[in-house]
Order: sequence, then structure tokens, then C-alpha cells
Amino acid sequence: MVQLLFTYLGEGDFMEGKCGIVGYGVYIPRFRIKSEEYVKAWGVFAAPGVKEKAVAGFDEDPITMAIEASINAINYAGIDATDINCVYFASSYPPYAEKLMSSTISTAIGAPSNIATSDFTSSTKAGTAAMLAALDFVASGRGDFALVVAADSPYADFKDFIEHRLGSGAAAFIIGKEDLIAFIEGIHSVSMEFFSERFRKGGEKFLRNLAIRSYAKYALNKIYTTCVSELLRRIGRKPDDYKYVVFQQFDGKTPLEVALRLGFKPEQVTPTLLCTKIGDTGSASCLISLASILDTANPNERILVASYGSGAGSDALSIVVTENIEKKREFLTVEDYLEDKEYVDYLTYLKFKRGI
Amino acid sequence: MAYVSIPAYWKTIPQRYSLIGLKCKNCGYINFPAREICAKCGKKSEFEPIKLSGKGKIYSYTIIAAGSTPPEFLLQEKYVGSYPVAVVKLLEGPKIVAQLTDCKVEELKIGLEVETVFRKIYEDEQVIRYGIKFRPVKKRRRHKKNEK
Repeated sequence: MVQLLFTYLGEGDFMEGKCGIVGYGVYIPRFRIKSEEYVKAWGVFAAPGVKEKAVAGFDEDPITMAIEASINAINYAGIDATDINCVYFASSYPPYAEKLMSSTISTAIGAPSNIATSDFTSSTKAGTAAMLAALDFVASGRGDFALVVAADSPYADFKDFIEHRLGSGAAAFIIGKEDLIAFIEGIHSVSMEFFSERFRKGGEKFLRNLAIRSYAKYALNKIYTTCVSELLRRIGRKPDDYKYVVFQQFDGKTPLEVALRLGFKPEQVTPTLLCTKIGDTGSASCLISLASILDTANPNERILVASYGSGAGSDALSIVVTENIEKKREFLTVEDYLEDKEYVDYLTYLKFKRGI
Repeated sequence: MAYVSIPAYWKTIPQRYSLIGLKCKNCGYINFPAREICAKCGKKSEFEPIKLSGKGKIYSYTIIAAGSTPPEFLLQEKYVGSYPVAVVKLLEGPKIVAQLTDCKVEELKIGLEVETVFRKIYEDEQVIRYGIKFRPVKKRRRHKKNEK
């Protein structure tokens, strides 16, 4: 144990190369609604770049989506659910405001009772926050495998523009120390205080956005620039070192703007823009995009992931793909879930969301 | 089925969440749902919990429409209309009754390969009752090769 701690805390960035992803899995509901349905209903569709979005069925919620993604991740990792020492669940719109949901997930997937569980919520960066906590869990030697799963199906007033972009989906990652398909090269987080951008008061049903454009843009750029440039400085990387950069998927346009401002090129961002097909999946959005990149990534490619928690901060991770990724490609991919779809009209969408 | 109390539901969580059956140590028969006495050999023997694969085939099915909907599924029937319920014969042998989801009624037929999915079943006393449904087997569409 002492030996372990020494190894992980000894030199430089304590996370460097020692921990990473052993397996991953996603879940995207099969129902889709096209932007045209919104135009028919409201005369306008207010999510730039989004062509269609994934809709959770009547019998789905972040917990059910998280469970399917987790099972896929466990299968990919080639471990047994009983090997897991920790389950962290993230969602900005969880079905319960109080009642631990990671326990429901760990029970359903067959994880043992003697594990650590925690729920991460109240921000769209909850997914990456949970992943950083899972990395800490494994790096510190508390356990061999941690499951981190983010699932979201955010909900807003149907007449509110922010509702137009909200989609559904989940991504799960098994974090470990051996047989990594990708390792974490470095991490960095920032925290600031901008408000009014995306929030939901206690007891409120609807997500709100006061949409003060220039102010929100200032916050976005300030937070992202601080977080990403500091991470790159600390690990001695530059934008060109990355094959892909994943930013928070608000819509089909904003991640691109952020990337260009930070000195990245469009071809590094375009493949990650899943928002155009599934909508804004809140705390799961960065992780679903990361999973879709891993589906086709080659060894030694670098991926930068930087989430955004509406005005409050960002978590950035520098990830390097390993040779092992070639070995494990027999499982359901993001593409498999994207292709299996059934379109619904706006009225059905409202019914699925219990909106009328 | 009507009202199921919280403790009664809790007792069945292994079977409802994770499809855990009981294998009879006397004759090897897999009992699902769990029971005190083996359905095959009729002995009150020892059992060993076993996780079932969740894969199986539709043995029979029906469509539940308005008028025959049990009270806990009234809201579902109102919002999404009639829904299919099937008897599924699992690979391991047991037959179980559950709803079918993520499918169109037209694609259903006896013998169709299905698999379990974890879903919300209904909500009662503000508690979400989760459990298992079946859907047609989700297949890998294509194997994506790396493009370099």
C-alpha cells in the first residue's frame, strides 16, 4: 500500500500515465425527433447545427440509460461486475433530487455491496467531475476498478428556446490501472462564478436560461481559455498535438467557436460534434463524444476533453490512446446506436416527456 | 397484479433488477422467479443463485389495450397507447412474463429473439419501480474499420 501511494504520488503530475480507461460503453435511446418537427410546432428551431436529437422513451430515465451504458462498458473492459470497487453516477437532471442513484445502478449491474458510491449532479460538468473523482479513487489505491457513468435527459419548459436543444444519452467508463485502452496524461480544473446561464432552483421542474448572450459568451471564453491553456502549459502540449478535441456539446456551433478561439482547427473538432445527431445531453455530452472518438481512434492519438459547467467551471483531460484499443472492438459502438432509430413527431415527443 | 407494497417489491429486487434465478442443487432446474420449493423435483432443496443471460425467444404475446390495463400501467397506456406483453422463454429454460419495449407491434412474432433491458415499470407512492422488459435483440450494424 505504501509502495503504491509512493508510486502514484511520487513524481510530477500524479496521474501521469498511471491511470486510464479500461473499457467504455454508451447508450442512446432509439427515438429521434427532427428539427423540422419543431419548425412545424413553433415556427422555429433554436439549436444551431442540430439536425435531430435523441429522445428517451416513456419508460426511460437517466438511471435506465446509465445501466445499459454501464453493462456495455463492463463487457468491453472484459471484467466482472464483482471486480468493481466504486460506482460514480453523474446527471444534471436525475430522477430523484434525494435518494442515491448510483446504488440502484450498482445493484442492477451486479456490483458487490462493499463498494463506494456517489452521485454527481447540479452541473453539466458533473460527468467529467465524476470521471476525475474515479481517477483519484483508482490512483490513490482505494480500488482497482471504478465505474463512472453519466446519463442525462434534461427538461425545460416546452415554450422556452433552451428546450429545443435538449437530447438524451449516456456514457460509461471503467477506470483502472492495467490493460488501458487510453491513459490520462494530465488533468486540470477551474472554478469561477458566473450565473444565470443555465440553472434550476430547488423544487423547480424546468431548466432555465436567462440568455444574456454577450455575458454568457464572455464566461464561456474566460473559463475555457483559463482551463485549457493551463492544462497544456502544465503538461507541455500544444493544440497541434491533438487529433481530436471534445468540448461541451451545447449545439452544433459553439464547440467549434470555442476550439477556433483556443487555436485548434475545425478538423480536430468536427468529428466530435455529436450534438448535431443527439442534442445536448448535459453532463453526458463530453463523455458520449469521447466514446464515439474512441470507437475509431488509432494508437498514440491524443484527445483533449474539456467540459463546461454553465458559468461555473471546466474540467479538462488530456488522453492518449494505447495499442490495446485495437484488441477490443467487438462491442456496440456509438454508430450502432445512432443507426438504430425511429422518428417520432412533436406530439409523441410531448407525450414521452409527459409534457401534455 | 395490483398494488405491490414496497417491502414486497424490495424482496424481489434481485429478480426484477438483475434476473437472478435459483438453481436447484437437487435436480439442477433453474427456478425463476425464486421460490421455496423446486418447480421440477418438488423438493424443498438447497438453491444456488444464478444470473440468467437475459436472452430468449417470444413464446407467446398479447397486446394490452385501454379497458384491460392494470391500474399501475394506466398512465403509460394513456401516453403511449396499447403495449405488448410477452411470455419469453429464456435460453436457460424458465418462461417469464414481461412487457416488450422499443419495438413495433408489426415486427412481433412467436420465436422472435429478444433480450432484457432495464426500464421504469411504473411509479407508485412517488417511488419509481424499476425492472426488466424485453426488446428485439440489438445487433451490431457494422464493424467500423479505421480510416487512415
